[in-house]
Amino acid sequence: MDLTRILFEDFAPAAIGLFYVLACAAVATFGYGVYVQVRKYGRGVPVAFSGELLARFKAMLGTVLTHRTIARRDRMAGGAHRLIFYGFLLLFLGTATITLDYDILGPLFGVHFWHGKFYLGFSLVLDVAGVLLTAGLIYMMYRRGWLRPPKLDYARPDRQPADPDYDRSAYRREDWAFLWTLVVIAATGYFLEAARLVWLADKPDIWDTRWWSPAGAVLAEGLRAAGMTNTGGAALRLELWWLHGLLALVFIALIPFTKVKHIFTAAGSLMLRDPLAAQRLPRVPEEEKRVGAQYITDFSWKQLLNLDACTKCGRCHEACPARATGAPLSPRDVILSLREFANKTLSSADLPPEVELDVHGKGPGQVAMETLWACRTCMACVEVCPVAIEHVPVIVQMRRKLVEEGQMDPQLKKTLQTIHKTGNSFGESKRKRAAWTKALPFPVRDARKEPVDVLWFVGDYASFDPRNQKVTQGFASLLHEAGVNYGILYEGESNAGNDVRRVGEEGLYETLAAANVKAMAGAAFKSIVTTDPHSFNTIRNEYPDFGGRYEIQHYTTLVLKLLQEGRVKLARKLGLRVTFHDPCHLGRFNKGYEAPRDILRLLGCELVEMGRCRANSFCCGAGGGRIWIPDPVGADKPAHNRMREAAAIPGLQVYVVSCPKDLTMFEDALKTTGNEGKFVVRELIELLREAIEQEQAAPTPGVVAA
Amino acid sequence: MKLLVAVKQVAALDEDFEIRADGRDVEADFLIRDVNEWDDYSLEEALKIKEAAASPVEVVAVSVGPEDADEALRKCLAKGADRAIRVWDEAIEGSDSIAIARVLAAVARKESPQMLFAGVQSSDHAFASTGVATAAFLDWPHAAVVANLTYTPGGDTAVFRRELEGGVLHEMQIECPAVLTIQLGINTPRYASLRSIKQAAAKPIEVLSLQDLGIAAPDVGESGSLSRVRRMYIPDKGRAEMIEGDVEEQAARLAQIIKDAIGGAA
Amino acid sequence: MSGILVIAEHRRGELRAAALELVSAAQAAKRGAADKVAVVLIADKPERLMPHVSVGGVDEIVTVKISAHDFDPDALESAVGALIAARKPSLVLIPHSIDSFGYAAALAAKGGFGFATDVFKLGYEGSEDSGQAGLVATRGGYGQKVNVEVDFPGKDTIVLAVRANTFKPPEGVSSPTVTEFTAPPVRSRLSSRSFIEVSSGDDVDMTAAEFILSIGRGIGEQANVERFQELAAAVGATLGCSRPIADAGWLPKSRQVGQSGKTASACKLYVAMGISGAIQHLAGMKHVATIVAVNADAGASIFSVARYGIVGDLFEIADALRTHFEPGS
Repeated sequence: MDLTRILFEDFAPAAIGLFYVLACAAVATFGYGVYVQVRKYGRGVPVAFSGELLARFKAMLGTVLTHRTIARRDRMAGGAHRLIFYGFLLLFLGTATITLDYDILGPLFGVHFWHGKFYLGFSLVLDVAGVLLTAGLIYMMYRRGWLRPPKLDYARPDRQPADPDYDRSAYRREDWAFLWTLVVIAATGYFLEAARLVWLADKPDIWDTRWWSPAGAVLAEGLRAAGMTNTGGAALRLELWWLHGLLALVFIALIPFTKVKHIFTAAGSLMLRDPLAAQRLPRVPEEEKRVGAQYITDFSWKQLLNLDACTKCGRCHEACPARATGAPLSPRDVILSLREFANKTLSSADLPPEVELDVHGKGPGQVAMETLWACRTCMACVEVCPVAIEHVPVIVQMRRKLVEEGQMDPQLKKTLQTIHKTGNSFGESKRKRAAWTKALPFPVRDARKEPVDVLWFVGDYASFDPRNQKVTQGFASLLHEAGVNYGILYEGESNAGNDVRRVGEEGLYETLAAANVKAMAGAAFKSIVTTDPHSFNTIRNEYPDFGGRYEIQHYTTLVLKLLQEGRVKLARKLGLRVTFHDPCHLGRFNKGYEAPRDILRLLGCELVEMGRCRANSFCCGAGGGRIWIPDPVGADKPAHNRMREAAAIPGLQVYVVSCPKDLTMFEDALKTTGNEGKFVVRELIELLREAIEQEQAAPTPGVVAA
Repeated sequence: MKLLVAVKQVAALDEDFEIRADGRDVEADFLIRDVNEWDDYSLEEALKIKEAAASPVEVVAVSVGPEDADEALRKCLAKGADRAIRVWDEAIEGSDSIAIARVLAAVARKESPQMLFAGVQSSDHAFASTGVATAAFLDWPHAAVVANLTYTPGGDTAVFRRELEGGVLHEMQIECPAVLTIQLGINTPRYASLRSIKQAAAKPIEVLSLQDLGIAAPDVGESGSLSRVRRMYIPDKGRAEMIEGDVEEQAARLAQIIKDAIGGAA
Repeated sequence: MSGILVIAEHRRGELRAAALELVSAAQAAKRGAADKVAVVLIADKPERLMPHVSVGGVDEIVTVKISAHDFDPDALESAVGALIAARKPSLVLIPHSIDSFGYAAALAAKGGFGFATDVFKLGYEGSEDSGQAGLVATRGGYGQKVNVEVDFPGKDTIVLAVRANTFKPPEGVSSPTVTEFTAPPVRSRLSSRSFIEVSSGDDVDMTAAEFILSIGRGIGEQANVERFQELAAAVGATLGCSRPIADAGWLPKSRQVGQSGKTASACKLYVAMGISGAIQHLAGMKHVATIVAVNADAGASIFSVARYGIVGDLFEIADALRTHFEPGS
């Protein structure tokens, strides 16, 4: 006889009918679930996407097939998920092919391909797939049950134990139910196969080809050795057939209602990924009356889909600098809260009244202002999320609403008013913006009055902070000595607005961006350079939305070029043991990882990386306007956390930064963590000046002692 | 019900300012304009009353000044004032706080509010007299330095607390309508987002002339004032003996001063 | 038009110190012996205050009996207005105080008198217009960054509200003549209810402290308060603050020095850290013999009243200072 898959043999027609009824019910339930979810997403704000659908699909497929984002920084979990994914995918494709053969091609066209060698080959593939799946599942159980990484305990920093939505044990039960269901489906599948083999052991064409289903064959040998007869096998097969089949149907029916849906939502989320989600925040349309996200329906349907893509893997929770220092924020819990809120309010046929849609507050599923204000918009969560959830725009959109209502720290309020009044966060007179140039032995060109090659956008901290002014003067000397034709905007420059925008003061940001774009329009230059990664980010990624398209680089790339061209000459090698802190806005935001490292090598420094570096760099705590919000008294700070990490490097001499705010934050943290005297914090420009200057008059203090 | 809030666009001095050639004011280039800090509190007090009221209350902001005072009024509209009125006429130039009060009183007569709020003083010239002088022209009861207020719109009386020297509060009752000058700290002024300020730009600001208010030009300006600026000058400052040197040296000297003084006291 | 009226302020039955300072201010404004200085006591029991104002330079005491025991702006305005109408003085001096905020401007506006507030210098100078000597009063402008001289062309009576702690109270006693003046009846539209002492939060008495270390806006954030608390304890000072610190709730109101806070009456040494020196703050401390100001801004007005000044980072100074007061140092 021609070999094929044994399906309904020995089934009463009624039983077969019943199975089809159940299968249809399962598919109908699945379909209804999908409808409810899609209806939910449809209640979000419409959003237009840039980029070809096909290109987006390809990008998503690449990410999914390679498991690149899942395996990153957690190789074991990534590997196990890969086993589950490919095992599940093959089994799904196998089942789909059976349906294609048995229910579609056969009855309609009389075509059958599911036999002979094809069948045997597939049988082997599916058996192996089942093993992969089971192995992956077992590792995941081991991970959850024994390894128990803290990121999976779902402890919420944003709630107190007495709060109604503090308890996350339902999620844990769901996780286990998911794993067990798949394990049981796989196990019943194997035993079903084995029982079938025992039942048909006297049919040589079946029994003799049993090793094409190696796992089933091993189990069948075992069952026979334990004394199972043909009829016993037949009875077991019938029972297991129903058990396996029903489990599979239940599984299918529940996909849209459980975490299983991440199969679809994660793929969708990856397809809709915005590569500049945190770097370029969404604009508020001019005609929009309300600002920011107040109601759940103020999020886009893509963001609502994002919420459903979360699998609670906890990577954002782990990466978040606010969470790491005890602030009431976990990016994961923001997403889960909003998801719970969306499910509660948007799942029924009718939309509840507006008051019930407000996502701000301390009620179940709502997000508290303390949580939103704890965010540093450092992008660590967005960067690490394996399924392309974009937390930062969600948080900033909610902050916009808080800003509109004035629900913010008094000092932040004051700073925003100051920036509005004076154009800088220091409350200094506009006329004083270029006061730092007065100490230089050479004049700095006014780019508004004469054309220059390079326009230097100085930024607030580099202009006004006395400590940073020294660095700013150092960079001016470097440009001057290298013969670069550069200039600045003097009092024409305003705060770039990067952090104002991330605070959520969109109107002020628009004003600042427009003022700078206007000021730059009045200057003739070829490209822009800045020492401030925050200004760099917003001018590079956000000013184009305001009509300002420029070629801009961070000073590290310009200086590297000047070094390579020999325009900046080094008098000596520094021979220091250093580590480099990637500023969020230079590294993660704009992928400027190499230039500062190349410069350090040219300076003859020995670079020792911290555990968290490059894309995984740890925020200094100043981002998102947090530099204008006092940290709670006595609380740990991200910069402290980072200083402890650096201090663990044996023999470290210099902690190198390339961002004005970093210099301020870490010099302070160096003192308050008691590491003063052990190593020093220096701007890369300061090391450059040391290596350039002939005399050894000003060695890095503390280094000599170290 | 209507509450009138008087606001002033004040000026702070920029670094290294210069005195005008006629010696009677600072060169306008060096003036940085902003809303008077006290007026933030008086507007907030009015808005709070409006929001707590059972019946509709209209909050009207009024400012006497040239076009740049619109900025202050726009902030008031952005925060929730229902209307804004600006009064200006060349003749008003050179007015002291009393002449300004005469104009405000005319606006109050036109608007007939149940209550008029002003700041205790302005942060630039600190006359501390505009509000109370306005009350005098209206012949209304008046109270200054109000740090706490209990008032129901339409009520015949209000109860308030004056903040006295030394931090003691004096609780008094006043008949309404009245003029109250509001002290800092009475409330927490709300934030006017830039977006709301921009949106407020679309709202009209009623501009009134002296004629609209029936005021004769000699009643304002220098002729309508009770004082006249004769001269403005930068006072000799830096009476202090500056302690120079690095941080260590400065701290050591300070420590010595402290030890000497404590020793002397003991 | 001659004679100077000094309106004496009192509260809860006690004469306020500013009244006597005005007697000295009146001496400065006297154009000759003919310019008599009369102190006006407007109270329910004016005679009880008489001994306190019988000081050097007072020629006359005018008592005006009114029914209100406590501050009544309507009664004050009416009484002073009637007195001016009756006596036509050239100058009326009132303290620039919370009470005068409540009625002086109304008095001047109704009477059309020459008027200026917060005056810290006054005298007669030749006028360019008429060649006649006219009264010139000096006050601050633009947050006290400039001085403003004002004059009062064509005004026969001038009402000036004079800044407290500017003139030294006169020494010696006198035997002034006493005149009773009957004020016209007035229906007051305000009534006094009670005085409320603001609960202090802690039991420190700033008025009794001899050594105060005071902090202001310059400390930046609440988290830094503790550092200065420790510093104050280390150097043996009582910690005080300026208004913004108390308004923000970083320190209890009882520690606020200034016009609406406490006056550092017993203070011998006042170290102001991060306080720019708003006039309201200076009112509570500028009389202190030794003031040391530490501020990042060399242009801060606190340096104009300080004996010693340090321009620099207050945290660095504070840390360095503390090392001098550590046990064993």
